[in-house]
Amino acid sequence: MSECVVELSNVWKVFGARAEETIAAAQSSNLTKAEALNEYGTVIGVRDASFSVNRGEIFCIMGLSGSGKSTLVRHVNRLIEPSAGTIRVLGQDVGALSPQALREMRTRHIGMVFQHMALMPHRSVRENVAYPLEIQKIPKSRRWAISDHTLGLVDLTGYEDRLPKELSGGMQQRVGIARALASDPEILLMDEPFSALDPLIRLQLQDQFKSLVENLNKSTLFITHDLDEAIRIGHRIAIMKDGVIVQIGTPEQIVTEPADDYVREFVQGISRLKLVRAHTIMEPLTNGHANPPDAAHRIDGQSDLDALIDLSVESDHPIVVTENGRDVGVISKKTLLRGIQGGRE
Amino acid sequence: MTASTTDIPMQPDPENPMTTASVSDVKIDREALDRSISEFAGPNADYYARSFHKIHDSTGIIPRVFNWAAAVFGPFWAAARGIWGVFWAFIILEIIAFVQIGRGSWGQLGADQMARAQAQEARAQEFLNRATEATAAGEDGSRFETLGNNLMRAAERSRETAEAAAADATMILISGIVMLVFLRVVQGLWANVVYEKQYSRWRVDPASVPSGMKLQNILLGAALGLVIIPLTVYRFTVEGVSEWITDFPANPDHYSDTARWLEAVIDNAATSGSGMFDGIVLMVRQVLDAISVALIGTPWPVVMAVIVVIAWRSAGPRVAIFTAAALAYIAFLGYWEIAMETVALVGAAVVLCIVMGIPLGIWFGKSRRAYSFAEPVLDLMQTLPAFVYLIPIIAFFGTGNPPGILATIIFGMPPVIRLTALGMRGVPENIKEAATAFGATRWQLLKDVELPLALPSIMAGVNQTILMCLSMVVIISLIGGGGLGQVILEALQFAAKGPGLLGGFAILFVAMVIDRIVQGAFRRADQK
Repeated sequence: MSECVVELSNVWKVFGARAEETIAAAQSSNLTKAEALNEYGTVIGVRDASFSVNRGEIFCIMGLSGSGKSTLVRHVNRLIEPSAGTIRVLGQDVGALSPQALREMRTRHIGMVFQHMALMPHRSVRENVAYPLEIQKIPKSRRWAISDHTLGLVDLTGYEDRLPKELSGGMQQRVGIARALASDPEILLMDEPFSALDPLIRLQLQDQFKSLVENLNKSTLFITHDLDEAIRIGHRIAIMKDGVIVQIGTPEQIVTEPADDYVREFVQGISRLKLVRAHTIMEPLTNGHANPPDAAHRIDGQSDLDALIDLSVESDHPIVVTENGRDVGVISKKTLLRGIQGGRE
Repeated sequence: MTASTTDIPMQPDPENPMTTASVSDVKIDREALDRSISEFAGPNADYYARSFHKIHDSTGIIPRVFNWAAAVFGPFWAAARGIWGVFWAFIILEIIAFVQIGRGSWGQLGADQMARAQAQEARAQEFLNRATEATAAGEDGSRFETLGNNLMRAAERSRETAEAAAADATMILISGIVMLVFLRVVQGLWANVVYEKQYSRWRVDPASVPSGMKLQNILLGAALGLVIIPLTVYRFTVEGVSEWITDFPANPDHYSDTARWLEAVIDNAATSGSGMFDGIVLMVRQVLDAISVALIGTPWPVVMAVIVVIAWRSAGPRVAIFTAAALAYIAFLGYWEIAMETVALVGAAVVLCIVMGIPLGIWFGKSRRAYSFAEPVLDLMQTLPAFVYLIPIIAFFGTGNPPGILATIIFGMPPVIRLTALGMRGVPENIKEAATAFGATRWQLLKDVELPLALPSIMAGVNQTILMCLSMVVIISLIGGGGLGQVILEALQFAAKGPGLLGGFAILFVAMVIDRIVQGAFRRADQK
């Protein structure tokens, strides 16, 4: 297991005066959101959330509006104080930081991108990107140099002296990303950064963002309401519903082993071709099986369904799945088709 | 997706198939409407259901429905049905009619003229008697005779007027009756229309719109009518009404006692806080002196040139030419120094308004609690007529320019406070959140985000404050303030038309120049 940069354990956020009573009641019984509002006049935003983000990982939190995902992410840099639970960032308990240390943490170690860009309309693109550096009192010459370099990373060279309102939505969000990267933080918090953009631009930015983050080796907490987006860029995904994290897993786990009906309904429309691996759908070779013919096509267990279809089109034999050079399973046409469908027998 | 209970499937209902494609085929469901109307109307529900249907079906301007209850009972019908607007409107109109009827039938019209005629006659008789006595005594009685005859003629004229007035009584009576009948017909025709409107409002908000016929409404309407109508009719139709009806029973002792007490309070406060008040006056005087020295001490050609250049830079060549002409007028008539004093007064007031107003505005913009306390005070500062607070200002701060500036500040500061607070509250939450997320301190947040984004609003506030100070700075001559206001005040005291008009134009020009320059500067800032 690699190093853990963000770790939330049993975080609760309850809005309202009687938060503690609500948490106590919810811990002992199964208090629903509606009951909490009725009995205590409180709104449960986040309910007993625990997860961790590893270094270099893109961790997606996916949920519909009102599921508490934006509230949850704001706990990481303490824009919102938790009602209960602890949050550790880079090994430090965020809740215990002094105001001074908290600002230091926010400025140097955490970059944040917002759904509605939140750029300062009265400052040029360059000065917007340089703002986190300005807060750190870095001299102007250095700030401008870093800012121009970072704008280069998001392909915005030549727009430094424009005002944000002169840029399109997609470009503005790239400015937002550049601003988050400017002070070279280890952690990026992305609060639905691409939701307000049109689908084509969104696809472009998702790919651009993923490769950028992987190159720079940032750890990212990415909030989205779009499962396609989560699967496209997330290494791991947490699904949230009504403030509760329902399931955490890799995209393949989420799609092939949904934890409950709620998640199952979500993943129904997701294309499995690039997600599901041969390893997952194969029939394992046991002693009862005849040894596969040598003429049959062989494929690695990590290959996806797309590659399997290509092979299957070429020959009528079942495909043999290998792992470390050993034959471990077979996939017949029937297994493959069922695998594409989603494992219904 | 999970199907929630609110997602009702759009399935065809076998009971009520939506086969009709045309709007003209839609049936009107009278029964449901009738149930609702009867719930609303209470007594006489059937009648109101019928007439509401007529109103709903009517295509003309005035639906042909006549409400006899409204025609017979007039405003009391409206009261019983809880239509208080109609009740008040018609009870006032009907009082006019009742007064006419009363005057026409038993109000002795011309009684006062008749009484005067009798008095004049008696007096004439007295003079004539004296004339006869004088003639009898062998003196010249012609003087008394002339007086007596004159009075006799006057009495005759009074008698004629009185008789004419008495003859008018019938006409007044008839006009009163006609008016009353007309009003009742209008109410009869209008009642159901108004009541139907009330019904529509009641459908939206059944809790607060009155419905049905309530005993308490009937009693309240009757009580109001029984007090208002007889009292008013009595006042207008009967001679020599009791004094308590015409004059409010005021007690002069209350007035003088309260005034004396208030005076003592103010005097006490003025003596006990004299150190603080003197300090304030000293501070204001410092600011005023600094500006005055700059404007009056600097050679006049320099000041004039600077003003014209400022006008040119901020508002363009046309305003610069106008400014030069206005300054020439002021200078040639010898108002230069006095006009500069006015400008210094405005300047000092504006500087103090901004220095105090912007921080207050920032505070009120951030703290909703503070603003809710300050709001009524700000309202008061703007509504209070200047004359009212000039007197306490004299009591606390004496007379002269500094107290005048304080009065100007009271009037001029609210806009800059309000608009600063408004601008602060208008800064988008998400931009503030972003700055916080990048580790900005409260001061950095204020300096880098809030103030720059609130700046247009703050500047609009400064602009308004300047113009309001300008309008106030003339009035302060009443408490010994100098400048052009004093010129006008002196002219007013001696009713001197010439000086008054010349000084008036000087003030007008100063105001116009400042206004043009300020407006021009802000228009340029807006375009940027």
